[in-house]
Amino acid sequence: MNPHIYRVVVRSQISTGRLLALAGLSGVAILLAFVARAADDPVEVATRSMGTFGTNVFAPFIALALGSAALGNLVEDRTLVYVWLRPVPRHTVATAAFAAVISVVGPIVVAVMTVAAAITGVSDLLVATAVATALAVFAYSGLFLALGLRFKRSLLIGLGYIAIWELLLSRLGDWFARLSVRSYPMSILSDATDVSMRLADRSTLASYIVPLAVGLAGLVYTSWRLTRTEID
Amino acid sequence: MSQAQASPPPMVQAAGVSKWFGDLVAVSDVSFSIGAGVTALLGPNGAGKSTLLRMMCGLARPSNGAVTVLGKDPRADVTVLGRIGMAPQQESLLDYLSGREFVELAAQLHQVPDPVEAARHAIQTVELDPDDPRRLSTYSKGMRQRIKLAQAIVHNPLVIALDEPLTGLDPRQRREMIDLFHRLGAEGKCVIVSSHVLDEVERFGSRVLVIAQGRLAAEGDFREIRNLMDDRPLRISIRTDQPRALAIALLDRGVISGCRLEGDNSVVVDTSDPVAFRRAVAPAARDRDASLLELRPVDDDLESVFRYLVGQ
Repeated sequence: MNPHIYRVVVRSQISTGRLLALAGLSGVAILLAFVARAADDPVEVATRSMGTFGTNVFAPFIALALGSAALGNLVEDRTLVYVWLRPVPRHTVATAAFAAVISVVGPIVVAVMTVAAAITGVSDLLVATAVATALAVFAYSGLFLALGLRFKRSLLIGLGYIAIWELLLSRLGDWFARLSVRSYPMSILSDATDVSMRLADRSTLASYIVPLAVGLAGLVYTSWRLTRTEID
Repeated sequence: MSQAQASPPPMVQAAGVSKWFGDLVAVSDVSFSIGAGVTALLGPNGAGKSTLLRMMCGLARPSNGAVTVLGKDPRADVTVLGRIGMAPQQESLLDYLSGREFVELAAQLHQVPDPVEAARHAIQTVELDPDDPRRLSTYSKGMRQRIKLAQAIVHNPLVIALDEPLTGLDPRQRREMIDLFHRLGAEGKCVIVSSHVLDEVERFGSRVLVIAQGRLAAEGDFREIRNLMDDRPLRISIRTDQPRALAIALLDRGVISGCRLEGDNSVVVDTSDPVAFRRAVAPAARDRDASLLELRPVDDDLESVFRYLVGQ
């Protein structure tokens, strides 16, 4: 990883709009936690809230906003040339961008969701939420980093992917569900509290391995794409 | 007797290079070698200059042929990028950085031993203030051009490719930048400067590669190119009350090679000797008792000059 490129990408990611989105979604997570705490069956409501909001909404949307912009913005405003012109192996550019996304999205999303889990008062959820959210962030960050480099309207395409594939098509059957990232971290939450949730029936091993594999596949694709792409 | 001293190897070489984007041919079978000193890449907008520079810097891959810089393929071997500096044409910069941070970043990525000092020196070289804390987003066009140049030279490269670097500079800044190019060239660096402005290139006083319609139209010392351009046939529109009579008179004097009547009071003539034509046109009009109302070259724009060179 190249620390100089890492710093540049981190700085490019910080914008008022993204910070507001982050604050807004964090507020919703905390609010849902209080609602779950006050519910008749806090374990079930909390598990569903953490699963539905944390891994289905919070992690993918923030990872999309920042991940797609990490290299995507440099391509769009034609400033990637100032990184490309240097004698830097292309995979270190991809790794630095990935690390920048993870290090911004990860701590915030994981911390907020872990605090939310603590507020629900369901102790079994605490570690599971932290792990599930971290894996979701890892997977989505890699995925959307690659998307940002590959497509010009990556934010729109990413929103379409989350809404159509992750939230709709994944409900059509087991085959679709297996190709849905969110089913894996949700399974971790389901395993932790024994609350049965739709899609959350992946094996324990797959729940950990698949999100890691998706994130790494995104990183590998980004590195490959960087060596092939022509810089404007 | 010893052999004559071999000329130094070229620093940049293009061999049969073509580049196309779908159906659009941007560069077509271009070959050249460039050594130390200042070389101008002259051509109208859209001629393929930027594409050639991008291929020299590894930003784009030739569709056909090969470009080598210091004997290496800049696309395949990133180490050679450490010897190349480039200022691209686009204005966009990393706007959230200050000028110093921007140039320092370039120095750091090039692993310059003291990036802070190198950045200061490069920024001062282009006559900007290294202590200016403002973000690049606040920079004027001229300042952006100069900071782009600073990041291109901060690592002391051997090959410097500058895409339209004088755009947006005032006359004094242009003069100083041209002096800087010459200094860098005199230090043994290969400085390639693209421009679509003929007068600008004239001031480089350098070797010129003329690119038009993606092809290498001419190559050599600027004076030779200039002469070639001046020798080209000129098409002139003459507005007169007796176009037919005047055209015949000019044909009789042998100063035009062809003519075409346009309406009742206009004739377009072709001449390959503009000087003789200018001398002959007034006497010819007087002899035929014709009034000369207007003389206007119809293809004196740079585009037509390049078209002519391509035809040659």
